[in-house]
Amino acid sequence: MLNITDLHVSYGSIEIIHGISLEVRQGECVALIGANGAGKSSTLKAICGLVPAAMGTIMLEGRDITNQSGHSIVKAGITMCPEGRQVFPQMTTLQNLKMGAYTRRDAEQASDIEEMMDMFPILRDRASQAAGTLSGGEQEMLAIARALMARPKLCIFDEPSLGLAPKIVAEVGETIKRIKEMGKTILLVEQNSAMALRLADRAYLFEAGEIVLSGTGEELQSHPSVAKAYLGH
Amino acid sequence: MIEIIQQIINGVAIGGVYVLIALGLTTVFGILGIAHFAHGSVSMFGGYLTFFFVTAWGLPLIAAIMVSLVVGLMLGVLIELLAYRPVRDANHINAFIVALGLTMMVEGLNLEFFGHEQVVIPTDLDRVFNIGGVTIPELRLYVILAAAMLIVAMTLFVEKTKTGQAIRAVAENRDAAILMGVNVNTIPLVVFSISTALGVCAGVMVGSLFAIAPGIGEGLVVKGFAVLILGGLGSIPGAVVGGLVLGITEALAAGFISSAYKDVIAFVVMIGVLLFRPQGLMGKA
Repeated sequence: MLNITDLHVSYGSIEIIHGISLEVRQGECVALIGANGAGKSSTLKAICGLVPAAMGTIMLEGRDITNQSGHSIVKAGITMCPEGRQVFPQMTTLQNLKMGAYTRRDAEQASDIEEMMDMFPILRDRASQAAGTLSGGEQEMLAIARALMARPKLCIFDEPSLGLAPKIVAEVGETIKRIKEMGKTILLVEQNSAMALRLADRAYLFEAGEIVLSGTGEELQSHPSVAKAYLGH
Repeated sequence: MIEIIQQIINGVAIGGVYVLIALGLTTVFGILGIAHFAHGSVSMFGGYLTFFFVTAWGLPLIAAIMVSLVVGLMLGVLIELLAYRPVRDANHINAFIVALGLTMMVEGLNLEFFGHEQVVIPTDLDRVFNIGGVTIPELRLYVILAAAMLIVAMTLFVEKTKTGQAIRAVAENRDAAILMGVNVNTIPLVVFSISTALGVCAGVMVGSLFAIAPGIGEGLVVKGFAVLILGGLGSIPGAVVGGLVLGITEALAAGFISSAYKDVIAFVVMIGVLLFRPQGLMGKA
């Protein structure tokens, strides 16, 4: 579904992604793991059109979306649930959910909102509350629900567990598993490598702007260098 | 007591003008983070234009205002595309310099096209209503009603329409708005169109209530920014409350103390408010 070939990304004159290639297939959950600054988030930003690709191609279902503007990539079917949640703080929970459906013109948005509130009951309680007043965990649920409101073909999660309490982290993991069971295609970036590898069908290991290892979630979990450097055993 | 009510009504009329100016400034500031200093001069241009259509072309007042509004909508698009878009990704000081340059250009064009004499937009709204001893000139009443309608329309637009919500979303979190699929190239065009049209309305109000002359626009934009800071930056309710507070304070100061000191008193009140609420009356701490 998503095919990235030889992607290079630079900030100014400094290249930080040195030609990576990766693939996400229909219905798969693919994880990108690696240390802070290894280039995972920059890769996601390039996919979503938030930073330009200096070289290489990004294809979605055979269509070239490299360096298209952010809004047309959303229309093409990719949404991202960004790092740090990034809800619209002074808009209500309901208004945030509606913004998630911004590119849609169909009449099923109201029923989708109901569906999201069934999936995350806390959002129903908080519907008319400003999103900035929600707790971190609630905001994460809102950000996930908001991303799903676009009915994306590919849903990207950038560090969904960052800064959350352990109990909430487990809940986020469960949620992503459920979204996968709904048949969504997922690209997941996580510093919590153990959780990411448990959830993922396949994974890529980033080091200093390159992909140094790839394989199934289990293969990477048991790979000696991954186990030592990223899983702490 | 009647005298106080009288002054408050006068204050609401001028406050309504301040609110319209401030709404334009606050939406532009919210979305682009720039202080659009030329807004007052552009607003005066709208007033001049209406004056021109009425006196030179003999258009009825309403028609003249409508044509000026359409010109305002298009002028807003041009201002965004030609003046601010080229410096959008540059340091904010660049946009600031552009704003100052644009102010001088528009002031110069106003002077070139419409001369240095002060002009008053002629209206035949010269009845005076008397309600329980309080006199309300017809024109002032219409200005208050028109300002109220525009404020309600603007609020409904921002709260209830998809484009309005996208404007809010870009103001609150630009990157997240992009991820929702908002086109951040067209939103500023919409914002500048609407704020310029609101500015034109304010210009027509100033031109018919008082007069338009070189330099008035610059004074008005300073008041507009004062309203923003008084009410809370980037907030529509803040602009409304701030504008009314400033207008009423000025009118009371002019009526009971001295019209020569009304601006000084208004700014002293503003500084006083900010000492206790640095985030503005409606701003979030």
